[in-house]
Amino acid sequence: MPPIPGSGLAKGLAVTLRTMTKKTVTAQYPDVQPDLPPRTRGVIGLFEENCTVCMLCARECPDWCIYIDSHKETVPPAAPGGRERSRNVLDRFAIDFSLCMYCGICIEVCPFDALFWSPEFEYAETDIHELTHERDKLREWMWTVPAPPALDPGAEEPKEIAAARKAADKLAAQQRQEGQE
Amino acid sequence: MTLAATAPQGFLSPTGVEIVFLLVGVVTLGAALITVTSKQLVHAALWLVVTLGGVAVEYLLLTAEFIAWMQVLIYVGSVVVLLLFGLMLTKAPIGPSPDADSGNRWAALAVAGGAAAALVWVVVDAFRTQWIDLDTAQGSTGDVGAILFRHWVLPFEALSVLLLAALVGAIVLSRKNGTTNEESRQGSQAREASEGRREEGKS
Amino acid sequence: MNDVLDVALRLLVVLAVFLVLPLVVGQTEHKVMAHMQGRLGPMYAGGFHGWAQLIADGVKFAQKEDVVPANADRRIFQLAPAVALIPYLIVIVAIPIGPGEGAVGTVVDAGIFFVLAVMGAGVLGSLMAGWASANKFSLLGGLRTAAQLLSYELPMLLAAASVAMAAGTVSLVGILDAFEWWWLPWQIIGAFVFFVAGLAELQRPPFDMPIADSEIIFGAYTEYTGLRFALFLLAEYAGIVILCGLTTVLFLGGWHGPWGADGLGWVWTLLKTAVLAFVIIWLRVTTPRLREDQLQKLAWTTLVPLALAQIALTGIVKVVIQ
Repeated sequence: MPPIPGSGLAKGLAVTLRTMTKKTVTAQYPDVQPDLPPRTRGVIGLFEENCTVCMLCARECPDWCIYIDSHKETVPPAAPGGRERSRNVLDRFAIDFSLCMYCGICIEVCPFDALFWSPEFEYAETDIHELTHERDKLREWMWTVPAPPALDPGAEEPKEIAAARKAADKLAAQQRQEGQE
Repeated sequence: MTLAATAPQGFLSPTGVEIVFLLVGVVTLGAALITVTSKQLVHAALWLVVTLGGVAVEYLLLTAEFIAWMQVLIYVGSVVVLLLFGLMLTKAPIGPSPDADSGNRWAALAVAGGAAAALVWVVVDAFRTQWIDLDTAQGSTGDVGAILFRHWVLPFEALSVLLLAALVGAIVLSRKNGTTNEESRQGSQAREASEGRREEGKS
Repeated sequence: MNDVLDVALRLLVVLAVFLVLPLVVGQTEHKVMAHMQGRLGPMYAGGFHGWAQLIADGVKFAQKEDVVPANADRRIFQLAPAVALIPYLIVIVAIPIGPGEGAVGTVVDAGIFFVLAVMGAGVLGSLMAGWASANKFSLLGGLRTAAQLLSYELPMLLAAASVAMAAGTVSLVGILDAFEWWWLPWQIIGAFVFFVAGLAELQRPPFDMPIADSEIIFGAYTEYTGLRFALFLLAEYAGIVILCGLTTVLFLGGWHGPWGADGLGWVWTLLKTAVLAFVIIWLRVTTPRLREDQLQKLAWTTLVPLALAQIALTGIVKVVIQ
């Protein structure tokens, strides 16, 4: 049967009318902040207390946008007669966001959890040089890092928790054994 | 038209309507002159609009409302549009076209003057003593319809047949010459005009 | 003196309607079209949901330079927007929005013909613009305008004639006085033909080939800037108001409504006009543009036969009920 003339038009009219009654998709950005997903790659925050200046991030960065300066400091021995320890002190940690391509490799390789993704994205500047952000700015962004999203139900236990539990269980078993003896 | 013999009518004490009528007439005549003398084709067509509009205003001043709107509808709305369409198709240039001037200027003037003189003479001779009473509407749609279908049915129908013949002729011409769009458009125009006339009758 | 005051007051009201209603339609189009496409439309101008967007547009147009192309026919180029706009202003005088003398600018005896004649004259503006711009796209737009007008004027007139036959008068007020509710189904084909042909005459989508922006830029209006361009746009929206008002008056019974007190007839007229304007916007959002040949085909093979059938039906019913 050939289609009734005008049926296509009627279908189209129905579609537009239905769309009109639905909620619009327009984001009114400056007035209403966008609702971003938890793992949004907005900017990289630095938790500098965790940083040991191991330089892994700077070395792994594909476009060399991380600048790190540091010096060595000797720490007096913790106990009398002990040996002096030396440790690295961070002088400068800067990321040039005009070079950064938001690959996140630095965050992945950091062995001490000093780098995090933050969903903060409003850091446009009028001069490209001002896009190199120093450690205090990166530290400030740390406050905008959201809590990690919950694991999927039925997901495998995180490794560090599993290891800690194993140790705790072992300790408890030992103590119980001692108590019995 | 009614005879108003009792009222003292004279050329020396014109009423406001008469003055306006004359002024519009002068404008219409001027526009018509420019229409035929202008060397810019599209300007000539647009002056024709002014001329036809002026004629429509004259009808209005004579309280022949229906005829006036028909004038606008058919001549300004359709005929001139068709004319402009044709001019655009032939790519009328902006500015004067030197070849728009035919060599028959004086012959045309003679014919036009003769025709005008004959018409004016006949009309003046026929209606010399008649005055239209403009206080009551003379040419309302109802009146025109009644006159057209009581007294002038035969000419009306003859005109319809004439237009039908023109329509058929246009179709035949366009068929013979293949599918030239220009002529089929003329055919549609003739049909439109004839439909317009039909409606006059129906209303 | 009282007469002069009355005339002045009427003209003032007509002018106000002429300036306000097209803007209302334009704003509605902004918002309705946006929501039909899942957008919000203007939100900032004026504060509340962008209600002043068109006023802001007007201010912007007024600030722009009025450019006349070097090769254009200056006088005609500048005159064209006025020729396009003024007929609509004249037409709006004759459309009655309520019963009685007070609700119409002026009673015209041959109302239908007055309205259609003057509306048809408005197209001259587009033609003049198309020719005088010295631009190939403008010329094409003008040509298309003329072709479209020639083919759609006929069904529109025939449909209007059908109503005139039914009412036995060509006066718009007279038609509304004679209106009965069962005219609605009786004249529905005529209403459809009239509305579609009117859309085509206004060059509204899906009949906007004369200004098809993806093919010929903006047709006859390509070279226009600033206020003159705004006048053309205003003419388009005034045309929408008038087409909807006319369809309401001729086919939908104008001030007659199923209920409502005597004084509220104008509400019915405005309501029906608004619904029709919404339909025009709705069609614009929904349908793609017709091709030039499809346009002519629709006019000659669909609308004209339909209009003739409607006239035949009107005649038969008219004879039977007498």
